Amino acid sequence: MSLLIGGEELGWLGEGSRLFASGAAESSYNLSRDWAGAVVGAGVTLVAPEELLPGTLCVAISLMGSTTALGEQLPGGEEPARAVRALERRLGERAGAVTALNLAAENALIPFIAAAELGLPMIDGDGSGRVFPLVEQTTYALGGMSPTPLALAGASGELIVMETAPDRVEELLRPVVLSVGGWAVAACYPMTAGDLARVLVPGTVSLLLRAGVPGAPRSVAAPYGVRTLCRGRIQAVEGSTRLGSELALPSSPSSIVLQETEGLRRLVRLEAHNEIVLALADGAAVAMAPDQICLISMTDGMVVDVDKAEPGLKVEVMVLKAAPVWHTERGLALGGLRAFGIPL
Amino acid sequence: MRAGVILGVALGRHPPVVVALRDGALDWPVGRAVARTATRACVALDLDDAPTAPVAAIRVGGPCPEALRPLVCRPDQAGVATIVRGGHSLTGRPLAPLDTEAVRRFAGSCGLMDFAVTATGSPMLADHELQVAAVIAAEVPGARITLSYEFGHPGLREREAETIRNAALGPEAGRIADEAARELPGVPVYFARSERGLVSAHYFRRYPYACYLGRTASLARGRAALPVRPVVPDEVTAAYGAALGRPEAQVERIVQARGRAELDRELQGVRDEVLTRVVSAGAAPGSARVAETTVNPLSYLPHGLYRIRVMAEGATA
Repeated sequence: MSLLIGGEELGWLGEGSRLFASGAAESSYNLSRDWAGAVVGAGVTLVAPEELLPGTLCVAISLMGSTTALGEQLPGGEEPARAVRALERRLGERAGAVTALNLAAENALIPFIAAAELGLPMIDGDGSGRVFPLVEQTTYALGGMSPTPLALAGASGELIVMETAPDRVEELLRPVVLSVGGWAVAACYPMTAGDLARVLVPGTVSLLLRAGVPGAPRSVAAPYGVRTLCRGRIQAVEGSTRLGSELALPSSPSSIVLQETEGLRRLVRLEAHNEIVLALADGAAVAMAPDQICLISMTDGMVVDVDKAEPGLKVEVMVLKAAPVWHTERGLALGGLRAFGIPL
Repeated sequence: MRAGVILGVALGRHPPVVVALRDGALDWPVGRAVARTATRACVALDLDDAPTAPVAAIRVGGPCPEALRPLVCRPDQAGVATIVRGGHSLTGRPLAPLDTEAVRRFAGSCGLMDFAVTATGSPMLADHELQVAAVIAAEVPGARITLSYEFGHPGLREREAETIRNAALGPEAGRIADEAARELPGVPVYFARSERGLVSAHYFRRYPYACYLGRTASLARGRAALPVRPVVPDEVTAAYGAALGRPEAQVERIVQARGRAELDRELQGVRDEVLTRVVSAGAAPGSARVAETTVNPLSYLPHGLYRIRVMAEGATA
């Protein structure tokens, strides 16, 4: 059944979307929330893809690049609509719905802004069930959908339409995103509602709407289960400046070391590459991608971004189980530890 | 340096509470004659309900949705704001030439003396903020100008809000510093920072926002130092907490570095800056040292962009 997301529901969606979102800078979340609140108007209809005609064109909307850059160089406001319109021009067809690539903070709110500005429904689901750093790391791709053609709108009026083999999207995208200031809005994965129904992680938007209601337990936002790995204090953060890496990953790897403050008092080492991909406790692997590993501040209950982690912080390390499709052989190849360059 | 009495002073909606620290031992109340012979006085106060001046806010950047424009119109503020073309991306690329003519027109016609300037990308490159300051200073003699890069956090709107708040507190900070100097002639006065540590009165006049929650921080510090004496009143505890502090300063920047050598060079630049700043915050030059350095790569960006925060401390001069 379709649901209308108005001002109040938007507040819940915003809160729900950051319960497990790492890499979301406070300022970019705040501005996405305020921006969405200003365009909510009569509201956006949330629909399951099955409720649309099977041939309806759906496009995925996502922030590309750095949330820190978005928080610093503000949007002009037209970016989401410009990206969708450019993709429509390339395809010669109007979009009938907007879907999210993933639902972490800004990435839940920017598709909402696109839907509100264009008067389109938003799909109840996403292409991840969690967050991965690469455009092709989605359940859409696992289901055989191509991220291209892809349209990119930057804050200084830039508009780029990209067409290439799926495995070269990141390589082409990254220098472009950097040259337009570090962030852009992408419209990508054009597909029919029929295909989308087959490849999405369903129901995740309405899940976040429930999880964002004040007083709801955090675990509501984790559709496939969540556990606490440990509670501890960060001892050290080690950034790498490794260059010429063979890995096709944006940003540099870093490590976070923390000492458990209870139980076995283990030394827990978290390996991060934009986000945490591996947790070792006293040298033994205890959690890894494609499951999502999150640091939650024990002071304020907020997610601690990898680039804000600093010695002395008291944190809870939580592990969210990824959608079942990520634990298939193809899912592991695309989103497992090897995809982050760790051949464990 | 004279070995002697260090004063802690708690200000708030009550008469000033003064305590004395002699060889680490707490003593209060303190007579005026003793107070005027102190080696230094450390003031704890919160500025969250201090009177504020109307601010002229200048943002340097592109057009944006109405909801994201500068906020200067809090209930008790008759501020004005404008957005002028210019600024830099986080990679240091100029977004547009700075519209100095627009700055001149706004500064000349706003009728205010307290300016807050926030340029897009200033944690990376502050050139446009410095140019705006020069235009304002030429157009409005005696203007008090806060530049956002002094706060340095990425996140334009949050940094802008801090910059505006700092500018709004300027006149009141000046009044408080004047009064302290009158009450304690010849005694160097310091003010407690929001996180920890102290800054000189001179620094406080320019960056009162650094001391926005100075009493709250001093109270926490005082409580931690007096755990076995729970009957001490809060104001005495806060004054004591302030007296325990030493000058501290922080600098935050975004830098771009290709490789370790470039990063080390950038780090050295930030460290030099924070050492200069902690001396300006009242540390004796020979005592200033870097206490803490944090380097984090920025997520989802290639080409070595880093967020650097450096904290320095020193002994009082």
